[in-house]
Amino acid sequence: MFQISTSPIDEVALKKRLENPKAGAFVSFEGWVRNHHEGREVVLLEYEAFEALAQSEAEKILQEAVSRFEIEEAICVHRTGALCIGALAVWVGVTAAHRGAAFQACQYIMDAIKSRLPIWKKEHYANGDSGWVNCQHCASHSGSDNHHVDKSLGFDEVHYYERQMRLPEVGAEGQATLKQSKVLVVGAGGLGSAALLYLASAGVGTLGICEFDNLEPSNLHRQVLYHASDAGQSKCELAKRRLQALNPFIHIQTYDKKLDLNNIEGILNHYDLVLDCTDNFKTKFLLNDAAVHFQKPLIQASIYQYEGQLQLYLPNGDSPCLRCLWPEMPEADCTGTCEDVGVLGAVPGVFGTLQAMEALKYLLGLPTDLNRHVLMMDLLTSRVQKIRQIQNPACPICGENADRESFLTMMNGNAEEEIDLEIDLAACSREHLNAFQWVDIREAHECLQDDFEALLVQQIPLSRFNLEISTLSPQHAYLVFCQKGIRSKKLVRVLRQQGFTKVYSVQGGVKQIQNWLKAPLQ
Amino acid sequence: MIVKADTTEKKIDVQYYALLREERGLSFETVMTIAQTPKELYGELQKRHGFRLPIERLKVAVNDAFQDWDSPLQPNDNVVFIPPVAGG
Ligand SMILES: [Zn+2]
Ligand SMILES: [Zn+2]
Repeated sequence: MFQISTSPIDEVALKKRLENPKAGAFVSFEGWVRNHHEGREVVLLEYEAFEALAQSEAEKILQEAVSRFEIEEAICVHRTGALCIGALAVWVGVTAAHRGAAFQACQYIMDAIKSRLPIWKKEHYANGDSGWVNCQHCASHSGSDNHHVDKSLGFDEVHYYERQMRLPEVGAEGQATLKQSKVLVVGAGGLGSAALLYLASAGVGTLGICEFDNLEPSNLHRQVLYHASDAGQSKCELAKRRLQALNPFIHIQTYDKKLDLNNIEGILNHYDLVLDCTDNFKTKFLLNDAAVHFQKPLIQASIYQYEGQLQLYLPNGDSPCLRCLWPEMPEADCTGTCEDVGVLGAVPGVFGTLQAMEALKYLLGLPTDLNRHVLMMDLLTSRVQKIRQIQNPACPICGENADRESFLTMMNGNAEEEIDLEIDLAACSREHLNAFQWVDIREAHECLQDDFEALLVQQIPLSRFNLEISTLSPQHAYLVFCQKGIRSKKLVRVLRQQGFTKVYSVQGGVKQIQNWLKAPLQ
Repeated sequence: MIVKADTTEKKIDVQYYALLREERGLSFETVMTIAQTPKELYGELQKRHGFRLPIERLKVAVNDAFQDWDSPLQPNDNVVFIPPVAGG
């Protein structure tokens, strides 16, 4: 029996209730209000419980004690309301045939009550201050990760999650699971903004953010993590700041870099689950291949204008991967990026939110069937479809003949092509780059803020490239750049076919040029 | 043995996603066709609407499951043509 009581606990009556001729032992525990906590003098305590949840969780705990130890019966009563120093705050009584089981069960119950029940206490200190303290934290006083109520907030962590902990599928246990979970979100754009906001506010204890772009004004209509005044700054840092303000109780780790074959294992290793919120095939396929190879669950989403797709890869099962459907990475030009084809901000919002939902389901151990289906949604027509997909035995990554070699070959294949078309400014000497003529292919409206006076830049917007290509000579060396390095790479591929042998795309686009200009001369 | 091609028309529901939806200007239509397979059906529609994407760059689902391009089509099947998408 468990009870929350607003009036003083009558321990004599409770002991009487436990009397039982089969019992050879009775053990009781009393928790009293003490006059100090973490070095501060306490004069009064107020207990507050989230009653429905406390009741069900406590009953579970008593049941566990009965099934684990050979006891007859167990009772626990917990006070709420205002208590003076020395008052009885919690009482546990256990009867058993023998003392060993009674001692063990009593301790088990009390430890579990302390760590699992949503009960808070407000300490009133001698100096007139007061503060809410979560008893779940008090349970880990000996532990290292013992952060108490945030003084500036004036409320404790468990108050934050109260409404979601009411759900039977979450509860105190589920909330604790979320807190222990580590989720990596790759890409903090449209999908990532929505996914990160909901994962952070749900209390995923460790959130990793991998993103290397700076915020552009054209991102703002869909990337709701950011503020207009943030334009030009690193998205990774902005995201961390915003999410930490949203939920100060979680830990956020940033990776302000592009994922590649060399760093991916080191980053993925730290996480239980990965969300693919990227906007290009190359990273999507790299993530897919790495997730299969290193056996990490992966939640993938992609959008196009008003529609999108969602799927889930789970290791150690029969769930198909991205390459089961697309063994070869599709050419980027058979579909558009958000820049080319346009997108309504709510669309990545919907799909990023679905990714967060699938992530929470996975972490809480709730069933899903998106590991065997691709979810397709057209938000213009509100058509929702789940298309069955099975694992492809011939898949180059997760199929019967796949191994580490095939993973490396696949990724190196991508890397080689890259090196040939692109130049990494940071890896080149200034002298070497002096031989090139710079060509800015961005449209006029994109170049307003940038100032590359230090460089001799010829401007040929991509939309007029065919008209002005005669001003370029195939014998000359050119460095072509755009905002991100995606359009320029595409163009370089075409120019190579037209006989321009010394034309390269600037990897990473404008941001990399800015960084390079700022870097000290080598 | 000679297999005679079935030339009777059948009704097929067709759905388009992404670039195909854009090119077709709608996401759903019902067509009458003598196509025996999704491959033949796509060829027919490609000719009619000038779709740019070759079949190699698409996937097809029939009745909510991904299928081979050469699997047989039945009357009233629901066929979905799916290009890859990468936006985010
Ligand atoms: Zn404490
Ligand atoms: Zn696969």
